[in-house]
Amino acid sequence: MLSDITLGQFFPGKSPVHKLDARVKLILTIAYIVALFMVSNYFGYLVIVGLIGLVLALSKIPFSMLLKSLKPLIFIIAFTAVLNLFYGAGEHVLFEYGFLRITEEGIRNAIMMSLRIIFLIAGTSLLTYTTSPIMLTDAIERLLSPLKKIHLPVHELAMMMTIALRFIPTLVEETGKIMSAQKARGADFESGSLVSRVKALVPILVPLFVSAFRRADELATAMECRCYHGGENRTRMKQLTIAGRDFAACGVFALCIALIVLCNIYL
Amino acid sequence: MATEIEIKNVSFRYESEGVTDPPPVLDGVSLTIKPGEFVAVLGHNGSGKSTLAKHLNGILLPSEGEVLAGGLDTRKEENLLTIRQHVGMVFQNPDNQIVATVVEEDVAFGPENLGIPPAEIRDRVKAALEAVDMTAYREHAPHQLSGGQKQRVAIAGVLAMRPDVIVLDEPTAMLDPQGRAEVIETVKKLCREEGLTAVLITHYMNEAAEADRCVVMNDGRVVLDGTPREVFREVELLEKMGLEVPQATKLAHELRKRGIELGDVINVEECVAALREQLER
Repeated sequence: MLSDITLGQFFPGKSPVHKLDARVKLILTIAYIVALFMVSNYFGYLVIVGLIGLVLALSKIPFSMLLKSLKPLIFIIAFTAVLNLFYGAGEHVLFEYGFLRITEEGIRNAIMMSLRIIFLIAGTSLLTYTTSPIMLTDAIERLLSPLKKIHLPVHELAMMMTIALRFIPTLVEETGKIMSAQKARGADFESGSLVSRVKALVPILVPLFVSAFRRADELATAMECRCYHGGENRTRMKQLTIAGRDFAACGVFALCIALIVLCNIYL
Repeated sequence: MATEIEIKNVSFRYESEGVTDPPPVLDGVSLTIKPGEFVAVLGHNGSGKSTLAKHLNGILLPSEGEVLAGGLDTRKEENLLTIRQHVGMVFQNPDNQIVATVVEEDVAFGPENLGIPPAEIRDRVKAALEAVDMTAYREHAPHQLSGGQKQRVAIAGVLAMRPDVIVLDEPTAMLDPQGRAEVIETVKKLCREEGLTAVLITHYMNEAAEADRCVVMNDGRVVLDGTPREVFREVELLEKMGLEVPQATKLAHELRKRGIELGDVINVEECVAALREQLER
């Protein structure tokens, strides 16, 4: 169960989408989200579907992976849809029973909102599927680097993210070991009321925290031994470079946004 | 340079509040390490061997005495970066010293901190991974590797800084026998082929047998210092300090007491050869 925990799952590959500069991908994802919220009719979503389809085809990420990323959020999507369905204000009433009132606008809203969430997840999943966490934190560090001028610790934040990502599998493994150890001593995590189950977690969390602090201490010493002294005068092995394909990707996205705007105005 | 590291009469106490005059962890240790030497520092838990290791690159500073690494005083703050580039260090737990999520990026961490140009970092990473025979795992995530492999990545991470000395603080304590052999082989190879100076902190006597020189510590002092052969001769003294001599040496020692002379054997091969000679006579 614990090995299923993945944050920003990455599928290594050599496709043009994988090779795009992480900074460009990040900015384009933000642009995509903005575009998604600009869409005001179904034709706009056609453009979005086309765009996602194109990225999916180029990146060779299986379609089933995209569906998998949506699975944990089905409840939220359904909840949003139902909420919009019944609370939509509008004149064209189709069905009324007590306080429940379904209007044409309500149905439209429900569909639009659900599509928006679905495409939001699909788009951001494609970003994390095709970009390694290191590249992503690197991109964030570089994009935010102007904020160093106002003394925001950009490098330190990026370093923290990298280390956190690095230690997720290690700590997951350790949690598993501690759970087994506590089970061997008769701990019971599966039965009882919610309160008692939460209480049962304490003997797992305490050793986990203690060990995490010990690890942090050792890691800090090891980093010092390897001459780590903050972001000053630090170089990077992997340079991010903007290539022709990055401009092409920007062009495609600009075109899509333009199409969405046109759809909004004329259709 | 005649000496790589010079430890002059070093004492060390852990300062803690409320305790006046805590017992010294290191008590007047003097040691000179020459370039290209493979030195094993032996001692049981609490003998001060790890504390000594942490003095070699200025992680801990001596309470009394001084440590010169490549001629530089570790107590001077401005020397620390140079010293740490010059004296690399590998720790016990491989999980707690790997920083990045990909092997090659972790190896690049040291040179990146030193501000080396990207193209040269690539060359260094490539060379370091080749030296520890981990090139095939360049793009793996650290958690996919075995303990021995992780420890070799940690060694590569140190090598990429191009140090002259590599200090290994019980690098094999958390490994299985196979991982242990991998790590010791790697260290030996680096010493013989690349001319690196290695200081191996350990409590395994068979690992110490592979070194050029053996330093035995007890209660913060250097008790024995010599070649493994010379040191292992002191079976009774070693056992009194809670160290277990290799079985082969132990056997030779017991036979000597009964009047059969095998000579100073330090490993199984030598023991077998000496026994055969005795039996054939």
